[in-house]
Amino acid sequence: MHGRVKVKSTAQQEEEKRKGREKKLKVYLTVRDAIFSKRSNGELDEEALQFTQQLLCSNPDFATLWNYRREILLHLETVKEEDEIQKLYEAELFFIETCLKMNPKSYGSWHHRGWVSSRLPRPDWTRELSLCDRCLSLDDRNFHCWDYRRLVVKASGVPVDQELQFTDRLIGSNFSNYSSWHYRSTLLPLLHPEPGSEPASPCRKQNNTHTSPTASPQTHSHRVCEEQLLKEYELVQNAFFTDPNDQSAWFYYRWLLGRAEREELISCVYVSREGERVAVAFSKPVNALTEGLMLVLDGQQQQRVEWRSAHPRFRHSPVWLCELPPGSVSDINNEHNLTVHWMEKHTHRDCALYTGRPESWCRDSATDQELFRSELSVEKTSVLQSELQSCTQLLELEPQNKWCLLTIVLLMRALDPLGHEKETLAHFQTLKEVDPMRSSYYSDLCSKFMIENTILKMEYAEVRVFSLSDKNLSTLCHLDQLLLVTHINLSSNQLVRFPPQFSMLQCLEVLEADDNAIGNLEGLYHLPKLEEVSLKNNQISKLSDLEPLASCPRLTRLDLRGNPVTKTANIEAELAQLLPSVTDLLL
Amino acid sequence: MGTQIKDVVIKSDAPNTLFLDKHADYIAAYGSKKDDYEYTLSEYLRMSGIYWGLTVMDLMGQLHRMNREEIVDFIKSCQHDCGGISASIGHDPHLLYTLSAVQILTLYDNVKAIDVDKVVDYVRGLQQEDGSFAGDKWGEIDTRFSFCAVATLALLGRLDAVDVEKAVEFVLSCMNFDGGFGCRPGSESHAGQIYCCTGFLSITGQLHQVNADLLGWWLCERQLPSGGLNGRPEKLPDVCYSWWVLAALKIIGRIHWIDKAKLRNFILACQDEETGGFADRPGDMVDPFHTLFGVAGLSLMGDEQIKPVNPVFCMPEDVLQRIGLQPDLLI
Ligand SMILES: [Zn+2]
Repeated sequence: MHGRVKVKSTAQQEEEKRKGREKKLKVYLTVRDAIFSKRSNGELDEEALQFTQQLLCSNPDFATLWNYRREILLHLETVKEEDEIQKLYEAELFFIETCLKMNPKSYGSWHHRGWVSSRLPRPDWTRELSLCDRCLSLDDRNFHCWDYRRLVVKASGVPVDQELQFTDRLIGSNFSNYSSWHYRSTLLPLLHPEPGSEPASPCRKQNNTHTSPTASPQTHSHRVCEEQLLKEYELVQNAFFTDPNDQSAWFYYRWLLGRAEREELISCVYVSREGERVAVAFSKPVNALTEGLMLVLDGQQQQRVEWRSAHPRFRHSPVWLCELPPGSVSDINNEHNLTVHWMEKHTHRDCALYTGRPESWCRDSATDQELFRSELSVEKTSVLQSELQSCTQLLELEPQNKWCLLTIVLLMRALDPLGHEKETLAHFQTLKEVDPMRSSYYSDLCSKFMIENTILKMEYAEVRVFSLSDKNLSTLCHLDQLLLVTHINLSSNQLVRFPPQFSMLQCLEVLEADDNAIGNLEGLYHLPKLEEVSLKNNQISKLSDLEPLASCPRLTRLDLRGNPVTKTANIEAELAQLLPSVTDLLL
Repeated sequence: MGTQIKDVVIKSDAPNTLFLDKHADYIAAYGSKKDDYEYTLSEYLRMSGIYWGLTVMDLMGQLHRMNREEIVDFIKSCQHDCGGISASIGHDPHLLYTLSAVQILTLYDNVKAIDVDKVVDYVRGLQQEDGSFAGDKWGEIDTRFSFCAVATLALLGRLDAVDVEKAVEFVLSCMNFDGGFGCRPGSESHAGQIYCCTGFLSITGQLHQVNADLLGWWLCERQLPSGGLNGRPEKLPDVCYSWWVLAALKIIGRIHWIDKAKLRNFILACQDEETGGFADRPGDMVDPFHTLFGVAGLSLMGDEQIKPVNPVFCMPEDVLQRIGLQPDLLI
C-alpha cells in the first residue's frame, strides 16, 4: 500500500498481468486452503511448517500463519530432544531472517523472532545483536529493528554504557539520525541521572553502568546530571555545525535545554472573607475530587465543602474552588486560620485571614519558583553563554536557519528572559518570515514567552495588575498564575477568544481587551468580582456569544462599541434582559 | 552543506479539486473484486479494510451503497469463542480487528449483532500486569493495542471493565524526550503511535498529562514544503500520516500550527482522477486505507462537502453523538 508507483500500461500488458495474477492466485489459494484444513484437523507437523513458510515469505503480515507455526513449534517441543529443539528453532530464526530481508518492516516477523528467541534452549544473543547491527547498517531508522535491539539488550544484560557507545558510533558516522539521538535520550538518564534535588554535584559514577537499559519513563526523572549535560552540548554543537539543517540534533538540543518536571505542590491558597470562598492553585492540573483534598478551618475539618474546578469543562485543573459554610469567616473582627491538605502528596499549605482584612493568600510567586527559567549553576551559565555565542556565529553564516534562530531564543530564555526580550521578539519576527508554514506556532510560542515575562515583571513590581497590550498575542496561557490579578489589559493583540482557563482569574475586577478579534467569551465564567469589561472593536457577533457574562454577578460596566453584535435588532432590550446587573452599557 | 529535505514535488497538473463521486464509486466497487489476487493477499486485514471503506462512505454520505446485511453477517461469523474478532473467516482473533468490527457495528447502530459481553471479556483478558495490552494471546505488546482496547470498550460503554489507571500508567511510560510516544517504553516516537496514545489519553480523560506545546511542535514540524506531513523526521510525506499528525494535533488543541491550505493541496494531489481513491503520495496506486485518511483529513480541516469526523475514533461525529460519546480534546 506504500510507495507503489502507478504505471501506465497497454491493454496487452494488462492482459498478461491479469493472467499472471490469476495463476498466482490459484497457487496461493490452494496453499492457504491446505493450511486452514490441516489446522482445523489439528495437524501440527513439519508439512504445515513448509506450507506456511511458502506464504509467509511473500506475505509476512498474515499473522494467523505465524500463530499456527508457534502452535506447531510448541507441540514439537514436547516430542523432541533438546538438541533437536535447538536446531528447529535455529532453523526458524534462519527463516525469519529470510523474511526480514524481503520485508524488514513487518510487525509479525519481528514479534515472531522475539518469541523464538525466548523459546530457544540456548539463545545466542551475540548473534541477535549482530543481526541488529547489520539491519541498522542497511536502514538506521528501522524502528522495528531498534525495538528488537532493545529486547535483545534487555534479555542479555548488555551494559548501558556499551549501548551509549553504540549511539556514539552511529552519530559519529552520520549526525542525521533521529533514532540514535532518541536512543541516547533514554540511555543518558540511566547512566548519568540528575542527583535528586541536591545541589549540582559531579555525576555519581555508581555501579549502575552494568544494569541494562530498561524502559525509563521519560515523563518522570528523565534529567541528566550537569557534568554529562555539558558534554552533550558539545556533541550536539558538532552535529549542527556540520549540518545546520538537520533537525535531529536540534530536537535533541531542545530536550537538553529543558528542565525537570515541577514538584507537585499547592502553589497558592486564596480566601475571600466577603465571598466566603477559597481558591487553591496547584503546580499542575489535578482532579481535586479524587486527590483527597482536605480543608481545615480554625482546627476544624470541613467535611462538607464541595470542590469544583474553575470551569465545568475541566476534570483536571490547576485551580479549584469551594464555598465556605455561610457565616464561617464573614465577621471582619475575627481572625481565621485555614489549611489545605493534599493527602495523596502529603503536602499542605496554610493561610491566615487577619482581623479587618477582606481577603488573604499564601503562595510561592513565579519568581520564587523560578518558573520560567532554568536553575543554572555558575558553570552551566557560562557554558550556555558560550553556546549562545556559537549559535549567534552560526546564524551569521546561515541567517535563514530557523533551527538556529529558535535555539537562540531558547538559550536567551534559559539565561535571562527579561534582558533578552527585545532580541527575542525580533527573532520571532524572522522565524515567521523564514518558516511561514509554522507562523501560528511561532506566534503562540512568542505569546507564551511574553506572558511569562509580564508575569515576572508584575511579580518583581509586587502588583496585581497584568498589562500586556500591543504585543501580537495570539493565545493566552499560564492563566493559573493570574489567580490574584485584579486588573488585566490585553488590548491591541490578536486574541480570538477567552478560553475556559480564563475563569481561573478569580480576583479579576477590570478587564480591558479592546482591538482584538475576540468572538468567544467562554472563559468569562463565574468571575465573582468582575465589574468592568471593555471589548471595543472585537468580533462579537451574536447575542449568545455574550451569555457567559451572565454568570458574573457584579458586572456593571460593559463596552461593546465596534462589535457586529451592536447591530442586532433590539440589542439594548435584549442585553437588559441577559445582563440585568449592567448599568453602564456602551454600544 | 546540509541535508536534502526528503519530499515530493506536486506537479502543476495534479488534481486540485475534490472528486467525491469518484471516490464513492471506487469504494463501492472495491469489495466486488473478491477474486482478485491483491484483494486476497490483504485478507489478513479484511475487517479493518471494511471499516476504512464504510467510514469513508459514511463521511461522504454514501453508506447506503454498501451491503449492510452481508457485512453484519460476516462480522458475526468472525467472532470466536473467546469473544475476540478476526480479520476474516479462518483467521485468528486480534484486538485490531475487534476494534474495527465494533466500529463498523457502531456505524450501523447494531453492536448487538455480536456477543458484547464476550468482546468485553476478551479485551479485559488481554490486559497485562503492567497495564499494557497484548494484541492477542501471543503476547505482542504495543501502545496501538492500548488504544484498540479502550476505544473498543468506550464504543461499547464498558470502559470500567479494565484497570484504566494502570493502562494510563503504561502509555505514559512510553512518552519520549520529544513529547511523542512509541510502541513500547523506550521506543522512538512515531506519528501513528502518537495518534494512538493521544487518542487513548483522550478516551481515558488524561490529556493534561501530555506536554502539548512540545509535542505540538514535533507534530507541526512533520509538515514538508510540499504541504504533506511525514510520520517521523527525515521521512517522506504520506496521506495516512497526514491524518495521524492532524488528528493528534486536533486532540491536543494545536491543529492551527500547520498550514492547512498547503496540506489540503497535498491531499488533493494524491487523488487518482481516473479511478477515484487516494494514494499515499501523488502518482502512486490508490487504496481504501489512504482514501479514508485523505477524506478524513479534509474533513478535520473543515471541508463542508464531507461530514465532520471525530479525531479520536476516526468515525463521523454524528455517529458518536448518537451513542453519547464525546472524548475530551484539549482547548
Ligand atoms: Zn500511508
